[in-house]
Amino acid sequence: MLWLARRIGISICLVWIVASIVFLAIRLIPGNPAELLLSQGGVAPDPRAVTELKRELGLDRPLWTQYWASMDDLLHGNLGNSLEDGTPVMSEVLFRLPRTLELIFAAGLFAALVGVPAGTLAANRQGGLFDRFAGWLAGLALAVPVFVTGTLLILLFAVNLQWMPAGGYVPFLQNPLQHLVLLAMPALTIGAGLAAAVFRMTRSAVLDVARRDHVRAARAKGLSPFRVLRRHVLRNAMLPVVTVFGLQLGALLGGTVLVEYVFNWPGLSSLLVEAVNARDYTEVQGIVLVISVLFVALNLLIDLIYAALDPRVRLQ
Amino acid sequence: MIAPLVAAEGVGRVFGQRGLFSGRRPVAAVAEVSLTVGRGEAVGLVGESGSGKSTIGRILLGLLPPSEGRVLFDGIDLTRIRGAALRRLRRRMQLVFQDPYVSLDPHRRVGAQIADGLTIHGLAAGAAATARAAAFLEEVGLQPEHAKRYPHQFSGGQRQRIGIARALATGPDFLVADEPVSALDVSAQAQILALLADLRRRRGLAMLFISHDLPAVRHLCSRVVVLYLGRVMEEGSTEAVLTSPRHPYTAALLASAPSLDPARRRRSAPLRGEPPSPAKPPTGCVFRTRCRHALPMCEQARPPLRETGTPGHRAACIRDGSDAGGA
Amino acid sequence: MRRFPWLAAMAVCVIALTAVLAPVLLLASPVRIDIAHRLGGASAAHPLGRDELGRDELSRLIWGARSSLTVAFGASLLAGVIGIGFGVLGGFFRGVVELLTVRTMDIVLCFPPLLLALLVVTVLGPGIGTLIPVLALLFLPGFTRVAYAGVLATRALDYVEAVRVLGVHPTRIMLRTILPNIGGPLFVQFSLAVAAGVILESGLSFLGLGVVPPTPSWGLMIGAARATMTQDPALLLWPCLALSGTVLSINALCDGLGERADPHGVVRWRRSGLLGALLPGLAPPAGAVLALADLTVAIETPSGTIHPVREVSLSVGAGETLALVGESGSGKTLTGLALLGVLPDAARVTTGAAWLEGREILRLDPAARRTLTGSRLAMIFQDPTSSLNPLHRVGAQIVEAIRAHQRIGRRAACIRALSLLRKVGIADPEQRLDAFPHELSGGMRQRVMIAIAIANEPRLIVADEPTTALDVTIQAQILDLLATLQRTSGLAMIFITHSLPVVAEIAERVAVMYAGEIVEEGAVAEVFAEPRHPYTSALLASAPDEGGSPPRPIPGTIPQPHALPKGCAFTPRCPRVLAACEATHPPLLAIAAGHRSRCIRATEA
Repeated sequence: MLWLARRIGISICLVWIVASIVFLAIRLIPGNPAELLLSQGGVAPDPRAVTELKRELGLDRPLWTQYWASMDDLLHGNLGNSLEDGTPVMSEVLFRLPRTLELIFAAGLFAALVGVPAGTLAANRQGGLFDRFAGWLAGLALAVPVFVTGTLLILLFAVNLQWMPAGGYVPFLQNPLQHLVLLAMPALTIGAGLAAAVFRMTRSAVLDVARRDHVRAARAKGLSPFRVLRRHVLRNAMLPVVTVFGLQLGALLGGTVLVEYVFNWPGLSSLLVEAVNARDYTEVQGIVLVISVLFVALNLLIDLIYAALDPRVRLQ
Repeated sequence: MIAPLVAAEGVGRVFGQRGLFSGRRPVAAVAEVSLTVGRGEAVGLVGESGSGKSTIGRILLGLLPPSEGRVLFDGIDLTRIRGAALRRLRRRMQLVFQDPYVSLDPHRRVGAQIADGLTIHGLAAGAAATARAAAFLEEVGLQPEHAKRYPHQFSGGQRQRIGIARALATGPDFLVADEPVSALDVSAQAQILALLADLRRRRGLAMLFISHDLPAVRHLCSRVVVLYLGRVMEEGSTEAVLTSPRHPYTAALLASAPSLDPARRRRSAPLRGEPPSPAKPPTGCVFRTRCRHALPMCEQARPPLRETGTPGHRAACIRDGSDAGGA
Repeated sequence: MRRFPWLAAMAVCVIALTAVLAPVLLLASPVRIDIAHRLGGASAAHPLGRDELGRDELSRLIWGARSSLTVAFGASLLAGVIGIGFGVLGGFFRGVVELLTVRTMDIVLCFPPLLLALLVVTVLGPGIGTLIPVLALLFLPGFTRVAYAGVLATRALDYVEAVRVLGVHPTRIMLRTILPNIGGPLFVQFSLAVAAGVILESGLSFLGLGVVPPTPSWGLMIGAARATMTQDPALLLWPCLALSGTVLSINALCDGLGERADPHGVVRWRRSGLLGALLPGLAPPAGAVLALADLTVAIETPSGTIHPVREVSLSVGAGETLALVGESGSGKTLTGLALLGVLPDAARVTTGAAWLEGREILRLDPAARRTLTGSRLAMIFQDPTSSLNPLHRVGAQIVEAIRAHQRIGRRAACIRALSLLRKVGIADPEQRLDAFPHELSGGMRQRVMIAIAIANEPRLIVADEPTTALDVTIQAQILDLLATLQRTSGLAMIFITHSLPVVAEIAERVAVMYAGEIVEEGAVAEVFAEPRHPYTSALLASAPDEGGSPPRPIPGTIPQPHALPKGCAFTPRCPRVLAACEATHPPLLAIAAGHRSRCIRATEA
């Protein structure tokens, strides 16, 4: 229990550090943000308008005051207002976040359902046809960048074969089937690389665990091969596989940025790209913060799952 | 009386003190240990796992600072010197490791590893060092040509010989052998023990032989110290301690060792129960929880090491000790 | 054997070389716009056609390689140098230094990489000048961690301590001993970083936030070609191919170099049925619980097939303990594993027969064999720490053994498990039932293993060095326990060990093994008092003895299994060798009732 409290405490600390870094990053923009915003036309802006905007954004106050004001705002769930259209960033974020989450979980599910059985099968028949083919396929999936996969899938399925639309979104409640059809390709695109990593780790973990003493002792009990596989091989092999999910989280979240862009999936990450292009600093700050917090939270979740699986960890 | 070469006085070592987030209680691995090793003398340090014997070995070599007490090497206080001075003193004391499979650098030829000691302390260089390294190999029973090979090309027993050769290279006066034969086969064990005895005689080496196996100590060491949970239970000449032990733990250790003579089988295990955790040692005598002869008084205070009648033979037990050797 | 990934290495070199030499190769200009010829097809001057602004595609591809690789290499190199420094310093000095170097990296790891890159690009604007530092920052934690972990692992090794004992200065220790050992993982990390750099740069350029046009970049090209996907798909395919191909080559190189040489080789999961039919006339002696006849085990190794167990025959009666004694490499453990049917996958029984209570077991089909394994025939392993599954509770592992052979419910099995724990001498068994293996001491774990072995009332237990990993006082307790269990249930035991005193302590009969064969067998009292094989005598002489005589070593070493001497295996080390010993392989012959020896001079005085 002490361990759990410590772990959560560390995560909260990290979130605070992340928020501070994001705050500082935006304030470190060379030049005057207010000026840069107003001078987008290429014309030097009116100094009075600049001062007005600065006051509005709170940029004329000392850094320390700005910092505490920001942190205070954050605690109240206030991420500021978009510089482009003035809408509160938080409401935009809350609207779009579930769609990105949906992508992530769909990709994760796909990776687990494909990667783990494939890895186990490949390990069982090491050196066989399936092992070599799957290994080769995994290598390919890991090498091809996510946006290339996405673009090529669109080329194949949408342009050439015309089986699916090239992207877009339909709310689930409006048309469940179409929603799922539109979810399939983006989720598959992100999921492919993750599935490849899971496949590799499962294969190597199963091979490693199968040679261990406790598996031999389990066989000596007269247990059926299936039971030995399930309770003594896979159960132990899942530990490094869970770790792989944790290691790939960063790539997963980064992947959503590209995939949402390619498939026009209106999630949080595509909003980020729009905001960056529009130099909407408040929006960028808010979204980066939320995604980073999501990242820390997912990492914590993975650590908790790992600890649930491995009793030795809870000692430390 | 001639001053001993190595003397530990009231040495103690506590682990796990620092760290705000460690949450672990400090563990006294070793407490109130005093022992001496005279010039050319072989002393056996015997104990089971958790007795702190390896820790003491490293404290005596100055590799680990004691939390209390001090260590004198030829009159020099090891706890007071540092850096270059300590490194210079290292030449005179060396260590032979337990596991011959990890005590040699797999990436370097064995000749070079032996020659290290010579080059570091300026005793020889270049071709002279290589020649002397080959000579050391011969001294431990290998061929000079073996100097060009890598560790993985040797068996466990041979690697242990190389480890001993490396330790001899600097010409030490004191050798700590930390369970040097535990990881070897029976035939290799006998070979290494014979080698160590031979080297000690020829070179007049002082030796601390750390082991968990009492019988193995018999032929190599003139004195033996028995440890339990980081404290000395008994010490004295090998002859005296092994033939008439005065502490119940020593007696139990001896009785537990299986005998080659089938007629001398025990009827039941001499020692019951599990060793207590070093983090929570029993009050008073640390052995009382497993001792068949424990009295209520044993709980009160730690018994000091006291003479048993035979000079140099001391035991930390409040009882007379004369019946400790019995069942 | 590790094969060097030649193909991948060549591919990477070709790509890198082409990128480096781009300015001197006679290529068309990658930036000259020619709208009139936009989307032009392949021609002599433009082998891959032209892009949507009329620029030469091939040239842009090659110059694009230059951008991506410059960014990737530059960032990886920068991160590598700083990261290795941080990791090594932190790992070597620990304390505050570790906090500043390694722990601060954890903060960088809080951001998903692409996100941090986007943040920095927002702040500083796009371009190669921004990309290299930001990617270097992203790769820094990886290098730091690998170097740090490598230093910690190497530090703990005995040979680093040995160098320290010699009196070497810390810096010299670091450079000489630690750095060469972490070279491998660091190189792998470098390749991974370069591959990641190429992917990240192209991703950012794809979004328009990476390399600034007109500098070509594969990401930019893919992004731009999306608009003309329907008209000219080839335009999209070329940069996709170049990008994927480059990353694939780097990954393949990385995989090829990082692959550890697998000492077990390819493990083939055995199919049974390799044993021939039982020879007629071969029958077990009456009354024996277990009888083995001519058991031979073969293992495939890269240097050929070896036979670590050769024609081993023995028998054990009810209530009897037979000790199987030998040094490492004698084949004693493999004999035990073969009996239970749990040989490693690379090994198999080639000839021989085994009868358990009169029933031949080596030729049973797997399902039938399994009904016997763990019930009539059980095994206790050497290392109780690694033989128990660390993730399951001890109680669950005992219950599993019970329910594998008895049709009882879980609650009943738990009750039985409790009584088993009591039987093996564990106090407060209710608490121990829920404990995990790592919460128990070594002695207690071994008791649990014994409980598992006796759970289904076996007729024979094979104990493989069950006390070798334990302290001598605990060893006495365990030997005691085994003897008591045997007395009360009349079970037979094969006790495998390398220690002769333990044999005297626990066994009635002994079989001495050397180089895969039995060299002497008989009653313990008889064999120990008057050994009839030179190896047995030598073993007895080399054991430390209370009598007072020092242990006498046996000269020479145990022969390697691929290089067994002709004739008797012990000839190179035997003090009583004759010319006849080298000529023929001596058989195991009875020299007295119940006493056999493989020495041709056994009957001499």
